[in-house]
Amino acid sequence: MEWLIPVVLLAGLLALALRSRLAASYRAWRAQQEREQVEDALKHLLNREHQGRHASPESLSGALGLSRAQTVRLIERMEAQGLLQSRAEQLHLTPAGERWALNVLRAHRLWERYLADEARMPLAQIHAEAHRREHTLSEAEVEALEANLGYPQQDPHGDPIPDRAGEMPSRASCPLTDWPTDEPGRIVHIEDEPAVAYQQIAAAGLKLGQTVRVLERTPQRLTISDGENEYRLAPAIAANVSVSPLLPTERVFDGDALPLSKLPLHREGEVVQIDPALQGLTRRRLLDLGLTVGATVRPEMQTFVGEPRAYRVRGTLIALRKEQADHILVRPIAHY
Amino acid sequence: MSSPEHVLSRAEALRRALPSDFRDAIAQTLYAEASRIARRAVHTRGQRGRDLDQWIDQIVTGPVTGLLVMLVLLAVVVWLTVSGANVLSEALANLLFGLGDLGRSLFEQVGAPWWLTGFVWDGVYLGLAWVVSVMFPPMAIFFPVFTILEDLGYLPRVAFNLDWLFKRAGAHGKQALTMTMGLGCNAAGVVATRIIDSPRERLIAILTNNFVPCNGRFPTLIMLATVFVAAGFSGPATALIAASAVVAVVLIGVGFTLLMSWLLSRTLLRGEASAFTLELPPYRRPNILRILYTSLIDRTIFVLLRAMSTAAPAGAVIWVLGNIPFGESSLASAIAQALDGFGRLFGLDGTIILAYIIAIPANEIVVPTMMMIYTGAGRMIEAPEGAEAIRALLVGQHGWTLLTAVNLMLFSLLHNPCATTIITIYKETRSRLWAAVSVVITLGTAFLVTFVTASLARLLGLFPSGG
Repeated sequence: MEWLIPVVLLAGLLALALRSRLAASYRAWRAQQEREQVEDALKHLLNREHQGRHASPESLSGALGLSRAQTVRLIERMEAQGLLQSRAEQLHLTPAGERWALNVLRAHRLWERYLADEARMPLAQIHAEAHRREHTLSEAEVEALEANLGYPQQDPHGDPIPDRAGEMPSRASCPLTDWPTDEPGRIVHIEDEPAVAYQQIAAAGLKLGQTVRVLERTPQRLTISDGENEYRLAPAIAANVSVSPLLPTERVFDGDALPLSKLPLHREGEVVQIDPALQGLTRRRLLDLGLTVGATVRPEMQTFVGEPRAYRVRGTLIALRKEQADHILVRPIAHY
Repeated sequence: MSSPEHVLSRAEALRRALPSDFRDAIAQTLYAEASRIARRAVHTRGQRGRDLDQWIDQIVTGPVTGLLVMLVLLAVVVWLTVSGANVLSEALANLLFGLGDLGRSLFEQVGAPWWLTGFVWDGVYLGLAWVVSVMFPPMAIFFPVFTILEDLGYLPRVAFNLDWLFKRAGAHGKQALTMTMGLGCNAAGVVATRIIDSPRERLIAILTNNFVPCNGRFPTLIMLATVFVAAGFSGPATALIAASAVVAVVLIGVGFTLLMSWLLSRTLLRGEASAFTLELPPYRRPNILRILYTSLIDRTIFVLLRAMSTAAPAGAVIWVLGNIPFGESSLASAIAQALDGFGRLFGLDGTIILAYIIAIPANEIVVPTMMMIYTGAGRMIEAPEGAEAIRALLVGQHGWTLLTAVNLMLFSLLHNPCATTIITIYKETRSRLWAAVSVVITLGTAFLVTFVTASLARLLGLFPSGG
């Protein structure tokens, strides 16, 4: 039975090694859970402050889905860390807390940008995915992500992305419901929460960067137009769409401009705009191929199913699917 | 003087002031400058070249003519490869196996123990020689022909024609090209996915490339089709039926590629089709030297070296399994026996399963390994000459039925990538996970499909003896 001794020893060592590893991964998991909770709480407080209201223990427990006792423990812990102060049932962010909160917001919006532009995830799904990922990066990693994306200013919903110091560029905007009738405005923000409202807006076909004007407003609905299509939205939904005045450089295209996908075969057109909502990889590819504003394009071939179509651009023949060509606005060139 | 920190913070501040479309402006000025230079330096004369191009394009992308041209070219390429490779392979095999015999007799003369001679010459060397002689010729024919079509400018038109199919599957039209490349070799097909610039679509193309049978699987498919599927026919009809069976298998593979692409783009690789841009270059005269270089050095030799590095150890393992006595027969036969019940579940048998496990480095050595186990030989051997002899061995002695043959064809089409391809997938994706996923989905599909056909056949009461 002497051979049993080394076997038992080996088994014991193995068990010990496994336990310490298990314990370590459990600790790491706990730390991650705590970080997520703290960061979600910070985001809630920041959100409230941006709305001009103050957070309370009740609002916090509601937002995070925690019990009263858990909320109290969380608040105590965060107070001890110097992230918030509670005064008279109101929770206030300390400067340190605000800085951290802005960093989480920054990570969230950068992730949304990445998921939308580079991973090409459907817009309706990116909020939830970014929410999961915002807690996983260190500050240096967030910076690398930002540099990789080319320092974007806005997330795909039009919200500004805070920079490293927490500064946020702001742009005057107002909800569609308060926008004057018949005044052209550019959609600069589509609120992604609640998701139901966002999906309705997306289903109607409204996009960030679109130039629209309000045609008619009744208590039941708003009728808006982008010059080509009309959209009808309930006021409660339309309140989630913000517009801002056009900058002098943003020209309004009407009548004669049309998507490249609708330009008839063998008809020349001049590119007047690439949809601002189209960012990331796809936009870079189009620019690389010479589809810049002012370039001349001519559809030359299409397959028997109608797409993709091949376009002559700067002497080369380039095939695009309808989805890509839809984002390129051209003005047909008249031939005399 | 400004410190680096100062410069950085200044850059940070200025960056904020940039309009969001400054990248567009950069591209625009670059192109404006380029066209200004081109206007001054380049003179164009006439339109003849372009008219000819448009005429060819009309034929090549027309709904009927385009399909016709594509099928004819595909048939020609495959026929050239298969028939040409037969001749070359035989010559190469004679040479390499002759060298092996020489080496063995040399070992015997100096009195080396039988196991050393066997291990070195019947194991390691035979594995290497087999893979080289069967793998090299078809690739050396297929890749130059493929590259000529590529250089001519024809292949991008195929991607253009077929894109609508791939779009519906959530994939990229250029996947048509990487699949065609997969006909030559799946590892080369995986490398070729570099032409797809959006990462999601590229991964789909990588993970599904194996559903296109490569050259290495063609001999197996042709042998099975000739001996079993076309068995009831005689004369020229045999060749025709066999060829149709092989074409049918390839088409099933294409179907599975599209189906799996569709599934992947709805599950693991969700996302919208992105950045489809495809350049259709003008038709050009191919550059022969470059074609030889890219097709032979970049593609053939690259794959062959990778395959050889896995074939040598596999040859050793195969020899060891075939020569370690176990009971009355070898260890290989014993394992095959043990796996038999499992194999029959899928309409195959234990020998086939074992051959696929140990011949993972290259599909080319699956049949020789199977023959080794069936005949109890101590080394990989070729299938017997002639359909009758093969039938006598497989049907007569080992209980094969038409179901076994059909399911083996399906399994050969759908099963996991060979080791060379798995390594290539790992190198291309830099991820063990994706390499593992590629194995799981192909092997899963192979077992599922063969299980379904075997169960159906059993339910319908077909092939009661086998399966």
